[in-house]
Amino acid sequence: MLQGTDVGGFLIIQDSATYSGRHLLNSFINAALNREESVHVLGFEISEEELKDGLKRSPIQRLHFHNAFIDPLGWTDHPIFTVHQFSLEELVRLVKQTSHPKPATLVIDSLSWILRHISPPAVCKTLQQLKKEGAVRAVIGLLHADMHQKGTVGSVCHLATSVITVAPGVKGDAAVAKITKRSKSGKVMQDEEIFSIKEDLTVIVQSKPNHTGPKQTDSEEQEIDPTANLTFNLRLSETERSAKDKLALPFVFSKEKKTALLHSGPGSGRILYEPDANDDYDQEDPDDDLDV
Amino acid sequence: MYTELNSILNTTPDSFTQGEFILVSDRQSDASFLMHHFLSFYLRARCKVCFLGLVQSFSHYNAVGQRLGVSLVQAKEKGQLIFFEGLKESLSVLISQESNTKSQAIDFLRDPSVGLRSLYEFVRCTVSSSSGGGEKGADGAEEWGPPVLLVDDLSVLLSLGVTVGTVLDFSHYCRATVCSQLQGNMVMLTRCDGEEEADDGDDEGSERLHRGLTHQCSLTLHVQGLPTGYCRDIHGQVEVCWRRRQGDGQHTQKKLFQYKVHDKGASFFARGTSSAVL
Repeated sequence: MLQGTDVGGFLIIQDSATYSGRHLLNSFINAALNREESVHVLGFEISEEELKDGLKRSPIQRLHFHNAFIDPLGWTDHPIFTVHQFSLEELVRLVKQTSHPKPATLVIDSLSWILRHISPPAVCKTLQQLKKEGAVRAVIGLLHADMHQKGTVGSVCHLATSVITVAPGVKGDAAVAKITKRSKSGKVMQDEEIFSIKEDLTVIVQSKPNHTGPKQTDSEEQEIDPTANLTFNLRLSETERSAKDKLALPFVFSKEKKTALLHSGPGSGRILYEPDANDDYDQEDPDDDLDV
Repeated sequence: MYTELNSILNTTPDSFTQGEFILVSDRQSDASFLMHHFLSFYLRARCKVCFLGLVQSFSHYNAVGQRLGVSLVQAKEKGQLIFFEGLKESLSVLISQESNTKSQAIDFLRDPSVGLRSLYEFVRCTVSSSSGGGEKGADGAEEWGPPVLLVDDLSVLLSLGVTVGTVLDFSHYCRATVCSQLQGNMVMLTRCDGEEEADDGDDEGSERLHRGLTHQCSLTLHVQGLPTGYCRDIHGQVEVCWRRRQGDGQHTQKKLFQYKVHDKGASFFARGTSSAVL
C-alpha cells in the first residue's frame, strides 16, 4: 500500500472520535523503522511509554521521541518541547540532534494539538517550509478532523501529498480508508479500501472499492438456507406421497358424486303432471293463453 | 460500587488497570450514578482520591456514598480523599471574604482568560503529595495506592466561561501527570446537550469537548436514554467503548447495555433482557 512514502512527502492520517488513526500511524512508524530509517516522533498526545508499548515488536533503536506530552504549554518549570516551539528552526534542530546519514521521517502526533494553539496559517507555513527544506525525508501527521472547522482541515490537507481518512468498518476490526494521493505531475488519485491491522502492525487490505462491499454482504445473506433449521418436515417420503395422492379432497367433483346427484334414489321428490280438463292446451300454439 | 459494572469492565478493587483515563458522558440522561460508582470503587481500592466536585456539595456525595457502603467523612479524615468542593470555593472567591486565605485553584471564575492552570496546580499538588508520602508517615498515616482524579463534571466549566480548548488543555495536563507519570487513574464526567449529529461546523461547546476528550481517553462510558422513550423498568442504556488496547489485537471494542438504578446499586443487562420484559 502506501508503506513507502516518497521523499519530501507529507502524509496526513485523518481520524475521528469513532475510530482512532493512531494504530495506522503506528504501522507507518513500524514500516519506516523496518526500512532502517530513523524516525522522529513529536508526541503531543501520547507518552513515550505508550508509544513504545504500541511498537513492541519494532526495532526502536532508531526511534527518537520528542516529549511534548508532559508539558506542551510550559506550565511546569522545565518544559522539554512546547507547542510554541513548533517552527522550522526548532524542528530542524530536533531532527539534526542525532547524526544520521539518511534524512529522517518526522511523525507528528497530533497536528490537532498544534492547530489548537497556533493559528492555522502559521502551522501551514511551517509545514510547507519543512517540505521544501529537505531536512526530513517525509512528514506523517495525525489529524483529528472532527476537532476543527472544515476550512482548517481543508487547508492543511491541501499541503499534503497524501491524505488517508479512516473510519470504522462494517464488521469486526476492519476499517475503511479513503486515500487521496497527489503525484508530482499534479494528478490526483482517489481510492477507497477496507483494511485491518494485524498484531505485528502490518496492514492487510481486505477488499478494494466500497461499492462491492454491500453487494458481497447481500450474496452472503442469500446463501443462507432458510429451510435449514425448521421444526417441521418439508419433504415427503414415497409412502407418504402415495397416501397423499389417494386422498380425495372434499370439494373435488368426482364421478361418483355426479351420478349420486343425478340418479337420486326412490322416494325422493318427483314431479307428476296430470293434465286438467280446463287446461286448454293447444299443441299447435303453446303460447296461446298469453295475450300477445 | 456496582459489582455488575465491575464484571463488565473486568476490574475489581483489588486489581484494576493503572494509567487509565475513563470518560463518562451522558446525553439527555444522567450519568452521575457512574461517578458515585467510581468514587466508591476507588475508595475501596485504597487509592488516594482527589475529587473535584463542581456541581454538588460534599454532603450530597457523602449521602450517596453511605448508601453504597463507603464513608466519605472517614476517608477525608484519614487523608485518603481530598475533596474539592467547587460550590463553596466559588462562593468564597466571588464574595471575597478574607481574601488570600483560600486556595487560588478556582481563580478562573474572576477572569476565565487566565485558564485552568491554577486548578491543575491544585490537582498536581494533591496527587503528587500522595506518592511522595507513600512511605509511611511518622504519625502512622496509612499508605495509599496510586492516585485517582475524579471530576464531576467538566462541562460545567464551559458554562463558567472557560473555552473548550482550555478545558482540553487541563484534561491533557491531568492525564500527563496522573495517568502517565504517576500511573494513576482518571475519571471525568461531561454532559452533551442537544441531539446527536445536530451540530454544524462551528460548534463551540459540549459536543466538541466530548469529542476532544474521546480522543484522549482509553475507555468511554456513554449514558443515553432509551431511543424508544421513557420506561419505568429500564432507565437507559450505557455504551461501553474500549479504545487503545494495543496489547491485544482489537483496539476499539463496543458493547451496549441497558441499566436500571436501584436505591442501593444498579443492575446492568444486555439489551432486551430486562426482568420486566422476560
